[in-house]
Amino acid sequence: MILKIEKIGLSLEAELLNKLLEIGKTHYQKEFGGFLIGYYSEDNRHLHITDTVLPKRYQASKYSFERSTEGIENEFTEFYTGTPIKIYIGEWHTHPNNSPIPSATDISAINTIINNKNTSIANPVLLIIGYSKNTVDFGFYVWFENNLYKYD
Amino acid sequence: MDKNKHLDSVISTHQITKEETLFDKYVKKKNEVKEALEDKYESDIYSPFNSGSYAKNTAINTKFDFDLVSPFKRNAFGCSGTLKEMYEDVYDFLYEKYKDVAEVKKQKVSIGLEFYADSDGDVIKIDVVPGRELSQDQYKENENLNLYVYYKYGNIDAGSERIKTNVKAQINNIKTRATDEKDSIRKIIRLLKVWKNTKYNYPTKSFFLELITIKAFDNKTITGSIWEKLETVLEYIRDNVTKDSFTLKDPGNSSNDLADTLTSYEKQQLSDDMKNMLDRIRDNDENLKTYFPENSKFKKEESKTNQYGTNSGMPVPPPKLNFG
Repeated sequence: MILKIEKIGLSLEAELLNKLLEIGKTHYQKEFGGFLIGYYSEDNRHLHITDTVLPKRYQASKYSFERSTEGIENEFTEFYTGTPIKIYIGEWHTHPNNSPIPSATDISAINTIINNKNTSIANPVLLIIGYSKNTVDFGFYVWFENNLYKYD
Repeated sequence: MDKNKHLDSVISTHQITKEETLFDKYVKKKNEVKEALEDKYESDIYSPFNSGSYAKNTAINTKFDFDLVSPFKRNAFGCSGTLKEMYEDVYDFLYEKYKDVAEVKKQKVSIGLEFYADSDGDVIKIDVVPGRELSQDQYKENENLNLYVYYKYGNIDAGSERIKTNVKAQINNIKTRATDEKDSIRKIIRLLKVWKNTKYNYPTKSFFLELITIKAFDNKTITGSIWEKLETVLEYIRDNVTKDSFTLKDPGNSSNDLADTLTSYEKQQLSDDMKNMLDRIRDNDENLKTYFPENSKFKKEESKTNQYGTNSGMPVPPPKLNFG
């Protein structure tokens, strides 16, 4: 099954989405997250999210998550040298017992990505997984034309 | 596709003058680190100086290459002090001073300072290169220095205390050629740096690319359009870098062979990359844009409504990021 969002499109396998949820749940009640990997279609109108890279170094609490790229730099290179070329396209993290709405810290993180010269992606994606014991809600956001938009 | 028009745009969108604000931040930070070193080491250090690409007139605005060479006096770390002790002492000092505001990393011959993004998202990187004069007061005479090799550098072993060089002579050699031959050597060096910048942690140093470009111009007749010049230099690297007889003399010490800064495997990788690049561009001119991307920040382009923006090179995530 493929989850699909039209206009500037986004797709990812439900399997990957479930995997992220399961990984996130193993850190309950703390937040957890990682890096999103994917590639754009030739006409740049569609983004396929295909993989995740998990941080080796991170700090987390119920309401915060800080990740580092230390020790995993080569994983991005491996994706970049493969076929198709896959790149870092954004970040995901969980909101345990909370809704998948970006906090001020999350928006600030997106700004850091946008303004980081080495990152060089114009439209980073942010996936927030809000979950509790009985509910799950996914929030997909993309930075586009100077605003953070939620995919429908 | 007009390859020459594209390459001209690559060069113009990477001009350092387009990033003056960021450049000024680099200069300010470089001066801060320089002053910190001078305050710490007082009369044990000569004046640190920038040896990066800006000093050589070969800079591009997506990677400034600020290398702060720090020339120490012979007895700065005791009369029997080793180069390793010099390197470790400078690292310890920089680590303590900057650990809360930057990643401080031991690198091949330098100590890397990567300051965390400021409010504009700008990340400033300064490499401090500790070097020591060979004998007391000799630096004032000829500016020769010994550098310490922290970890294996091509065929040069870790712990080697034998990189003797004259950094100022290195700068002057490249600066003179890049300035005198600005439509050929300087443009090709800048294009090769744009290409290198599309790769993450590529083993070939910028200094190597500068020297091999100059050697290509010295050994081949390189004329024609900017694409024809670039193509000839790429072919020269492809065909020569793996030869046993291939050498690249260090302008700072003719006994040093920069070819030794790459292992045989890394030279083969460089040659293969040149071959693949040439083959793929011959297959389809459009592939030139993948290897030599324009700096999208300064590119005038049509509206991107309903389209994702393109990235130039491999995106590298910010080293640290907080979510809430």
